Amino acid sequence: MTLTGILTVLWYSALPWLWLIALMIVVFLVPQILGRLKGYTFKSTGGIGSKVLPPIIAVAALFLLPIHTQSTIAYVNTWVDWMNLIGASIGAGIYAWFVLHPICFMRNRKA
Amino acid sequence: MSSKLSPKANERRRDLLKLGLGAAVAAPVLSLTGNAAANTVQTNAHIVISGAGAGGIAMANRFARSLPGARITIIDAREDHHYQPGWTLVASGVWNKEKTISKTGEWIPSRVNWVRGMVTEYDPDNNSVTVSNGETINYDYLIVACGLELRFDRIEGMDTNLIGQGKGVGSVYASIDAAAVTYDEISRWIQKGSGTGLFNLPPTALKCAGAPLKMTFTTLSRLEDSGRRNQFNVEFMTPSGGLFGVPFYNDFVKQRFTDQGVTRNDFWTLKGIDADAKKAYYSVRDGEDQVKDYEFIHVVPPMTAPDAILNSPLKFADDSPFKDWMEVDRETLQNPNYPNVWGIGDVMGMPSNKTAASVKMQAGVLEQNFLAHLQGQPLPARHNGYTSCPLITGIGKAMLVEFGWDSKLLPSFSFIDPKEESWTVWVMKERMLRPAYFAMLEGKI
Repeated sequence: MTLTGILTVLWYSALPWLWLIALMIVVFLVPQILGRLKGYTFKSTGGIGSKVLPPIIAVAALFLLPIHTQSTIAYVNTWVDWMNLIGASIGAGIYAWFVLHPICFMRNRKA
Repeated sequence: MSSKLSPKANERRRDLLKLGLGAAVAAPVLSLTGNAAANTVQTNAHIVISGAGAGGIAMANRFARSLPGARITIIDAREDHHYQPGWTLVASGVWNKEKTISKTGEWIPSRVNWVRGMVTEYDPDNNSVTVSNGETINYDYLIVACGLELRFDRIEGMDTNLIGQGKGVGSVYASIDAAAVTYDEISRWIQKGSGTGLFNLPPTALKCAGAPLKMTFTTLSRLEDSGRRNQFNVEFMTPSGGLFGVPFYNDFVKQRFTDQGVTRNDFWTLKGIDADAKKAYYSVRDGEDQVKDYEFIHVVPPMTAPDAILNSPLKFADDSPFKDWMEVDRETLQNPNYPNVWGIGDVMGMPSNKTAASVKMQAGVLEQNFLAHLQGQPLPARHNGYTSCPLITGIGKAMLVEFGWDSKLLPSFSFIDPKEESWTVWVMKERMLRPAYFAMLEGKI
């Protein structure tokens, strides 16, 4: 399959989920922008939430992603399966950190 | 408010906005890159496409782009378009049936004339077809994409109205409604807590040849999940003695059936059923006829090209192994006797190739060859027999089976092992193949 073909299929696959992607972008951008208006940077001090929750979310995703696809972690078999699952789980953890870190920063600042 | 921000903060905010805008813009741009059309050819020819299934719609969309000036007519009576590769997921309880149904009209380009009816007669000597609404339509070029006919009537006592009526009869092939109630029928069998389930292959070529196996494997998943697997007897009947055309997968499925306690009955052909008595009648090669009691039976009917093809000069000769199918050159997809007639999809006589994945490959070949033919050039493209079947081996896992002529494996992705069961392949089947199918309908891939 050509790269163009793969990109086209990925785009068609994403189409039904554009609302979710848009929502995730908003959820990502709002705390980032609000935090940065108050001096937040990635190097700022976060809080317990941004330290503990992202790893928990990443580990939970390892089990929840297969269930979400009506499968089970027991069927994660090939190296591609593991790479996809671990990659998606780490991605979920990083995303959670991007959202939670500025929120924790703002809470600390308020306190 | 922004005036209060430091220049650095302003820059960061601009970067974030750029990121968001970039993402919003990139996706539609990517979609535009996907048009799979070959060159364009100016023509005023009248092209008639018989059938608005996967092949017919894919060609209508491609021709609408690549043949400016052409008059294109597509003939089909069906208002609903069905994503048939999803039917096994419906019959296994993974999808609801609405996910497989769309409107035919949504996929037909506006410049294509849609005639509601089915072709009842092909007259290639006079370049015309007769439609069930009484019209006779003349053409310059004909694309036959009418699919195949399910021959439930060749199984004595079988009627599609029996499916899902609490008599233990199911068939994923009959229709989307039949697929949905097949799930209910299997559920009733599981709730009963015991009994025999009979899974069958037909004695003819069949569309989605993996579907009877998938139904067996997903049912085994459900039986195992019930915690009472040992109380159920599962048997699989093969008229040819084979389970799959590719030797590796044939051996794999045989071994898996053995491992999962499925009894195989080779060279058994379903000849009839008595739904009230829940009995199935089989002819056995080199043996006596057999009768089996069942609690559930998955019926897969014999299949042929539609009667309109079989009664026309477009079919293979009676001494051909493909005598029940439309004749085409399997590599160019052109009818050898009528060069202005072409085929695509299930209707054609080929060793396999009755899948949506095959149509995806055939559409590109047919378009290139058709355009070359219009320009009087040699036909440049050759179909390599590509077909694909994400072989579901349980609810939640699958193998990406892709092969061509002579069962040669033709994997699309170097990083996916075609001989391993995989969660990724399951996700592809469950989440990505339907979008890929839609892209194919629109001629984007």
